[in-house]
Amino acid sequence: MRKLKPACILFLLIISTGMGFAQQNQKREDWAFQSINNMGLLVGQTGPAFQLQSINGARYKSWFAGLGVGLDDYRFRTIPLFVDLRKDFGHSHHSIFAYADGGISISWVTNQEKMAYTHEDFSNGFYDDIGIGYKIVLGKNALQCSLGYSNKKIADTYSSPFYNVDLPPVLAPQTIHYSLNRVSIKLGWSF
Amino acid sequence: MKDKVTKTYTISTPIYEVLSKFRETIKSQSPVAVGSIGKITVVGKYIYLNEPNKGIHVIDNSNPASPKNLSFINIPGNEDMAIQGNAMYADAYGDLVTFDISNPLNIVTKNFLANVFPDHSMYSLGNYLPGTIINPDSINVIVGWSTRDTTVDYNPGNQLATPMYEYNNCANCAYAASAVPASSGPTIGTNGSMARFSVVNQYLYTVGTNMLTAFDIGQSFMPAFSSSLLVDWHVETIYPLKDKLFVGTNNGMYMYDIMTSPGKPSLIGQFTHVRGCDPVIADNHYAYVTINDSSACLGFNNELQIVDISDLGNAFLVKTYPFTHPVGLSKDGNHLFVCDGISGLKIYDATDVINLQLIQQLSDGTFYDVVAQNGLAIVVAGDGLYQYDYTDLNHIHLISKL
Repeated sequence: MRKLKPACILFLLIISTGMGFAQQNQKREDWAFQSINNMGLLVGQTGPAFQLQSINGARYKSWFAGLGVGLDDYRFRTIPLFVDLRKDFGHSHHSIFAYADGGISISWVTNQEKMAYTHEDFSNGFYDDIGIGYKIVLGKNALQCSLGYSNKKIADTYSSPFYNVDLPPVLAPQTIHYSLNRVSIKLGWSF
Repeated sequence: MKDKVTKTYTISTPIYEVLSKFRETIKSQSPVAVGSIGKITVVGKYIYLNEPNKGIHVIDNSNPASPKNLSFINIPGNEDMAIQGNAMYADAYGDLVTFDISNPLNIVTKNFLANVFPDHSMYSLGNYLPGTIINPDSINVIVGWSTRDTTVDYNPGNQLATPMYEYNNCANCAYAASAVPASSGPTIGTNGSMARFSVVNQYLYTVGTNMLTAFDIGQSFMPAFSSSLLVDWHVETIYPLKDKLFVGTNNGMYMYDIMTSPGKPSLIGQFTHVRGCDPVIADNHYAYVTINDSSACLGFNNELQIVDISDLGNAFLVKTYPFTHPVGLSKDGNHLFVCDGISGLKIYDATDVINLQLIQQLSDGTFYDVVAQNGLAIVVAGDGLYQYDYTDLNHIHLISKL
């Protein structure tokens, strides 16, 4: 959990900044700043992994658009940076919502996750997360949970430190392309 | 919900040629620019500089401030060399090639010993015995590769399914200087510490992945296979000291006597250390072993170990010094030169091995190997050949870079 500590501090900073904006915009009715902060699990072939998100943007009636940043610890540690679009359906005190996120997954791979080749580079890839959720409005805040499908792509390019004169004397790099499919389960707080 | 994992890599297809045609390409030609460089041998005013798998650059170093690239010997598959008198011995994949180097501008190919280095062989001769005469017109060899990229499904848990070719060559791991005493015989080239060839008293000794092989070079241009013996796995370097050979392996240092039976070295002692790439040099009392964590050697340590070899049958560790990524090394008198990767070349006063005193650190490049003698340190680096004047230890300075 030690590696998550800086991310948690960043997450709290983003939330506190968002709360400041939110308080300034409380009086607006149609347009309003909103901060959505989620934590949850990513479940897939590699097993469950922790995720954190903070999405900050503008709400107009039942629509919301914002920018999100987070921590995705599934298979390789990455920082998702994405655009979030969502819409609420139904009652004002509790409603169903649908969301779609798309952006880039920035690699922040730990040494333990690498294969320990001398030359090994991870490249960023596409990130998306789409799903539906349920929201309970509590005054000016809301508690929400969601279930969705998430995919992130990351590529690992490495060269073997060995070579063989009997075979091509070339350190040709090899690239492993990961397309990681997960069920995304989130519990969040918006204000 | 499953992940989709694919792997993109290069598939190589061999291009064949008749061995006799291939051998015709092994010859001296006009100088070419120095590219990636490997092993080094210094003889008098000449430097012979290996370019891994391509050949050997011949450099006139009469004026170290302005070395001249004289010629290039095209030797596909070449990694090592050794020189005695006018004869140079070099590997061309699995073959041992002998050259007459009496005229550095026109080096002449004299002889081939077929497939004596099976670790590097480019062709198979079945139950062939080293030294057997073969018909080079009857054998096809691989002279190149055509390549194409491909992408396949990949299971990260199944490494055996991947096209990983893993051999222990350490061609660019490092190098250092031998300490063969001057004799009245033919001049012997001074090799770097990562050399896998060494000449002592009319014998050429070579090490392969796990073997130590001796060749009788009494007839300079007609080397004859003498013997081959198993050392250990992942043998890396060979270093001669008087009538002894010091063989560096991933697991330690092995010492062989070559006085009793030069054609058949006999093991007289060994010193085991943690796993790592380990060039070794020695003087009359101590062996200096650098251990690094290159992935090729599966090691984790970066250090210099000094081993007391006064009693070769009972060698013991005297002291360990931490380094960044030590590779080749050389010793001139009481001065120890250690290439320490990106930290550069470190020069020590080694009068007291318990308390090495750093004289100077030269950080001009990422250095791999050094031959230090007569006030001139010739240093192999990733980007070329550096030469330092250390006649005045208070003013060690770069005099040229090739």
